[in-house]
Amino acid sequence: MSIRDDLIERCAWKRNQKVGPLSKEAYAELSLAVRENPESFVDEDAERALLLLAGALDAYREASRNDDLLDDDAYAAEHARRLELLRQACERSLSLDEGCLDARLVSEIASDTEPDALATRLARLEKDLVARPDEGEPGGAWEDPFGRPRLRLIAALARTNVDAARFSLARDEASSVVAATLSSGDPLGARHTLMLACARLEDEEGLGATEALFSERESAWSHLSRVLLLYKLGRMSAARRALRGFDSLCAGGAYALLRPVYVDLYLPERPEVPACGFEEAIMAVREAEPIIADVPEFLGWCQGHDWLMASAQSFAERNDLDW
Amino acid sequence: MAHDARREDYLRMSLRFALSLDEGSPDHAARAFASFGRKFAQDRDALPQSDADRAFHLVALATELLDYRLPFAGDDLVEPLRSRARGMLDEAVSLDPSCHDAVRMRASLDTPSHEERLGLLSERAEAVRMACEAERDALVDMLEEPRRPLASSISMRPWWRWLAEMAECALICGHNHAAMEAAERLLESDPHDLSDVRFTLAYTLVKLEDATGLECLLERYPSLAAPRGADDAWILLARTALAFKRLELDDARGLLASLLRAYPRCGTALAQQVEIGDGLFARIRVPAYSEDELVVALSEGVVLLQEGVERTGKGVFGAWVAKTAAELDPAVPKGAATGMPPRGASRS
Repeated sequence: MSIRDDLIERCAWKRNQKVGPLSKEAYAELSLAVRENPESFVDEDAERALLLLAGALDAYREASRNDDLLDDDAYAAEHARRLELLRQACERSLSLDEGCLDARLVSEIASDTEPDALATRLARLEKDLVARPDEGEPGGAWEDPFGRPRLRLIAALARTNVDAARFSLARDEASSVVAATLSSGDPLGARHTLMLACARLEDEEGLGATEALFSERESAWSHLSRVLLLYKLGRMSAARRALRGFDSLCAGGAYALLRPVYVDLYLPERPEVPACGFEEAIMAVREAEPIIADVPEFLGWCQGHDWLMASAQSFAERNDLDW
Repeated sequence: MAHDARREDYLRMSLRFALSLDEGSPDHAARAFASFGRKFAQDRDALPQSDADRAFHLVALATELLDYRLPFAGDDLVEPLRSRARGMLDEAVSLDPSCHDAVRMRASLDTPSHEERLGLLSERAEAVRMACEAERDALVDMLEEPRRPLASSISMRPWWRWLAEMAECALICGHNHAAMEAAERLLESDPHDLSDVRFTLAYTLVKLEDATGLECLLERYPSLAAPRGADDAWILLARTALAFKRLELDDARGLLASLLRAYPRCGTALAQQVEIGDGLFARIRVPAYSEDELVVALSEGVVLLQEGVERTGKGVFGAWVAKTAAELDPAVPKGAATGMPPRGASRS
């Protein structure tokens, strides 16, 4: 679910309010038409602001496609330039609609500040919303496209709080997003943050309950969280089995764990990738970084398993990666 | 309070001396005791002692070298000191294979991995507890009532130190529930907390972000810590860290200010966050509310300070503490709050 999807739903919903109510089929057709050509359905500044933002995010992603060809310095310069462009677009968006929460969120993330400062700023943004109840209910359901920016903000805040080592806050925030979006299947992936925070806090019950809610939807985060939790609880043979699961059920999981790969900022959500694939493993390991660093001998323990090393190495060879 | 190997050596010998006198007349005992202090200082070998006492004496000597001289030794002295201490500990174990302090310190000295240390300590924990309890029961049976509490405490101390090191290792390794269990076990065995394990427990509760647990610990402070109040560097840093983790930044700032009031002129130590090696016998003895005590607390507090993603390497809380200490204490030199934390003499 992206900001563009929200925009389309909002335009369709507004048009339906004006001309409808439309039948289900007609509504689906309307949505399709909006997707084809959103510009012609946008007639208010709030939607204009979103359209501008969605365009800027597409441009950012498009420009990132050839980053692999750049060396580190060139990448850093190019990345900074691109984030600056994105921030300028957010400003334009906000000049159309100063209440455009998505633009504020993207602008904050794109400022590429330290997690601690970012968490503080996002928390303030969220607090200001509570003071203005017309901005959608705090626990509003995902079905309402007008309430989504706020849930997106809380999900980003939860992730940032993991980086800022504020795990209880992260757990509470992620849990509130999961509760609000559960009927839609947690499209923001807040369960991933929730599971990582539970693992760090050695909250076995919390992790178990979250796993049970999403029992058929395992992910790199769920596997990695289990390994970390069991390791922290000192149940080493269970931890070893869980590590084995992470390795065999997440493509390239072993490689991602032992050779962490750079992950760009989420603007403002994680990119959509296949469940339990290599890209997901890379993201899960990146997000778990502060938790892994807090168990200083964890990676050494992982490396002590020959099968894990062999698996990582053969993945590297098959995919032409450095080892 | 803290453990003091030299003092404990003296107490052990005085107990042994008392045991040797219990047969004689009270007058004789009083006269004999008058000369005990002099003999202990000048002619220790002439005093009655068992191999266990001799072994503990070697532990006390090794502790001086490892915990009090090594941190200040130049690079060229590190290996000679370690090797002398290693020899003393080996001799202690050969004199008394159940000298738990010597066994523990010997293993820790050459085991840099905290996981491995924790594994060794956990594996032998039950045996050590039972041995110490048996020793206590036997000794208490032999002594008159007035000497029983001291004898009981002396017998149990190796076990307390064992548990204290288990708690510290578990905390460093990120096994926070295990750290909590070891600390609670120790407090149950020694409700007066000679080992100051409540400090380790406070950090552990912050790692688990257990606000209720930390509140409860504060309530237990009067019975655990007396005559000290709940204003030591550990509990204040723990409370600051928890407020910071809950994003209650005004509270965190206020608590850091009270830490600076309890440890006046220590802003620079707070900003620099030097890491020093842990004591091998037990947490090193330093004067209460001294800068040294704050340094020890901060060094153990690395688990709180250096957590999270932060670019200078100080950690999220560490960077905030350094910056805020510099704001609160004008004596902190410019630049002390930035850059990587310096490392003090390290044992391994």
